[in-house]
Amino acid sequence: MSFIEARGVEFYYSPEEDKVIKGLDLKIEKGSYVAILGHNGCGKSTLAKLLCGIYEPTEGQILVDGMDTANEELSFDIRKKCGMVFQNPDNQLVASVVEEDVAFAPENLGYPREEIRRRVDEALSTVDMTDYSKHATHKLSGGQKQRIAIAGVLAMSPECIVFDEATAMLDPTGRKEIVAAMKRLNKEIGITVVTITHYMNEAVEADRIVVMNEGEIIADGTPKEIFSKVEELKAVSLAVPQVTELLYQLEQDGFELPRGVLHAMDAADVLDAFIGGQK
Amino acid sequence: MKNYALEFKNVSVIYGEGSPFRKAALNNITTSFPKGEITGIIGHTGSGKSTLASLTNGLIKPTSGEVLLEGENIWAKPKEMIKIRSRVGLVFQYPEYQLFDETVESDIAFGPKNMKLSDEEIKSRVKLAAEFCGLSEKELKRSPFELSGGQKRRAAIAGVLAMRPEVLVLDEPAAGLDPKGKEEILSGLVEYKNTYGATLLIISHSMEDIAKYADEILVMKDGDIYMQGGVEEIFMQAEKLFDARLDLPQITKLFIELKKRELVKNTDVYSVGYAKKEIEKIINAR
Amino acid sequence: MLKDVTFGQYYPGNSLLHRTDPRIKLLILVEYLILVLVASTELAAAVSLMFTVFLIAVSGVKLRILLKSVKPLVFVLIFTALINLFFTTGESEPLVDWKFITIYKEGIRSAVMMLLRLLSLVLGSSVLISLTTSPLELTDAIESVLSPLKLIRVPVHEFAMMMSIALRFIPTLIEETNKIISAQKARCADFESGNILRRVKALVPILIPLFVSAVRRAEELADAMECRCYHGGEGRTKLKVMKACARDYIFFTFTTLITVGIFFINNITIAGIVELCRDIF
Repeated sequence: MSFIEARGVEFYYSPEEDKVIKGLDLKIEKGSYVAILGHNGCGKSTLAKLLCGIYEPTEGQILVDGMDTANEELSFDIRKKCGMVFQNPDNQLVASVVEEDVAFAPENLGYPREEIRRRVDEALSTVDMTDYSKHATHKLSGGQKQRIAIAGVLAMSPECIVFDEATAMLDPTGRKEIVAAMKRLNKEIGITVVTITHYMNEAVEADRIVVMNEGEIIADGTPKEIFSKVEELKAVSLAVPQVTELLYQLEQDGFELPRGVLHAMDAADVLDAFIGGQK
Repeated sequence: MKNYALEFKNVSVIYGEGSPFRKAALNNITTSFPKGEITGIIGHTGSGKSTLASLTNGLIKPTSGEVLLEGENIWAKPKEMIKIRSRVGLVFQYPEYQLFDETVESDIAFGPKNMKLSDEEIKSRVKLAAEFCGLSEKELKRSPFELSGGQKRRAAIAGVLAMRPEVLVLDEPAAGLDPKGKEEILSGLVEYKNTYGATLLIISHSMEDIAKYADEILVMKDGDIYMQGGVEEIFMQAEKLFDARLDLPQITKLFIELKKRELVKNTDVYSVGYAKKEIEKIINAR
Repeated sequence: MLKDVTFGQYYPGNSLLHRTDPRIKLLILVEYLILVLVASTELAAAVSLMFTVFLIAVSGVKLRILLKSVKPLVFVLIFTALINLFFTTGESEPLVDWKFITIYKEGIRSAVMMLLRLLSLVLGSSVLISLTTSPLELTDAIESVLSPLKLIRVPVHEFAMMMSIALRFIPTLIEETNKIISAQKARCADFESGNILRRVKALVPILIPLFVSAVRRAEELADAMECRCYHGGEGRTKLKVMKACARDYIFFTFTTLITVGIFFINNITIAGIVELCRDIF
């Protein structure tokens, strides 16, 4: 059984409006690193909120570790297992001081003081913010605020964290910090990471990419597979990395080049070998 | 000789001068922005880009030095600053937070109204500005708060374009938009520039966008001008850019690597189209 | 502008005052207010001043930060001092008697006393509470002091939570306000000219976006809090359990002694109390 399972999920905000999610099926395995990719307004943020049980599906069912998100009685257990980091760093920090913010969730869960302390310290060290434990939250940089938000979720010891466009409002430095943190959480601690984004270079870091368009899943596969489908991605207003596009266009012109090359170095190797082979 | 729309002469901005909090946001910078061209401004967070933007229309007063618009000091008549602000349009990062009026149309008209233009003039300017930003007639009648994120951004930018500024300064106009939305907004701005011969200053973190749209690049670092020059001239100096914690377009990185392997001669490649031609030339030459 | 307001902002640190139980600090504050207001003789004022200096010293707050917190109040301080200077009459010959200005020795004395008193009040309460007590600690302390009210179904926890969130968002909203003002100024908005009605109307383009954004922030924060299992005060524990230690009690006793001492130093008599009341009102 998968860690998260969405079965025939449909969702609308009100019956008069169009459906935001249309009959969606999705399985996310424990310990995986999945990017959900799509243009603005394709329903990917709504999906994120459905996965964590913030919204209830209008139709269908979502199971988190076997628990139905529609079941009010299980909502705490679900939230403890599946945390969420939001887009705007300013709107998810509750406290004015870093460690008090990180302590918020374990306090809500009613852990004893020593346990809270241990969790806060551990979470802060995981996101490399131990030195900032007594700092004022509003004075941190965007990337640091998001790391605190991650620590705040980590303090619940979740099995999965959903990042809802958590890098969209950050500068490139902050974005790198957060992507590095996601990778570490997944690879070193084994947390299931689901990241919602429209940045290709972030999606590339994941093990699996799910492409959404107008409330439906239109592609699902490894980054290499997904980025081979340059035309399909363009059709849903997404772009691919420049080198992927270059090799794709060369291939279209009849050169035999592999598809789905994502990094500049790999592209150099491919071209090197190809040009060398032409001699 | 080039004609400059906007010039900075020995401009410093220092916060808390004479107190222990003294912090220099800009250190004695001198630069100029060629008329009718697009200058891309890059630099890491806190390098002084935003301070520079706020100086162009007199939102911040330089601690020392002068900001010249068409050769005239914008602080010569502080009482007429509103006139300067209508000539230098400034679009902040996430400008959608400034929307307030009942309809998109009246919100876009806010600037022109403040300029005390005639009703007819306002109407035609609103219409044109909406067109540049790709807003339909129907969207103009809606409340700005009902629009999607991307549409809100367009409405906010249109609100500045409607003043018909001769210099347009934009802080990350496409931040957070998906590739298509970004493309549409940026090409609308280029169209505006071409129609009115306006001068554009675009602050961006995306090297790909800068390479695609800018004629010149200004690189800021720690409150100083670190580099300034043509796109080619700047991107040739990869190491120097890395030192300023900046990056290169991915395609340029590829060509730098290919040059190291002696497969190509040039590294002045910023677009996929051009890169393709270059590679095909090499393959065909073999 | 708005950026310079540090009054009421927490200054993180690990000084004696930072470590003192916030509930004890609230009590000390009450004593301190009595102490400063009661001190009416030169000697008493000197003692109260020394105690203020002591509080500042043990707060670990840098002097420049402290002075910044006084800055917005400079006008009030000077105004009050001048009023005292010019409007206090004495029995002796006036020191200055020029046209409508008459200054008596008593005037100078009361101006200096009033200035010291106000300055002490601002500095003392800043270092005791706002600068050394994090907003969360403060709300915890208030929650704990008011907790008996829970028995009569007053939602004390909810009030405390609302207060701490409000405090958390003050800097964010100040920043946002500045941003909106700049953005509307860039669209040629004019906030500085015209009559009052026009100026009030000019605020609409600032207030509406601010309100819209506050609502949006509130919605997002509510989601974020729910995601972190917030469910009101029931069953909630605290990272920082307030536990007054011996040092706190000693500190409290020390302050109590000085406060009581001030009454003696003032050489308290009925006449003294009457005069004190006159001073206050």
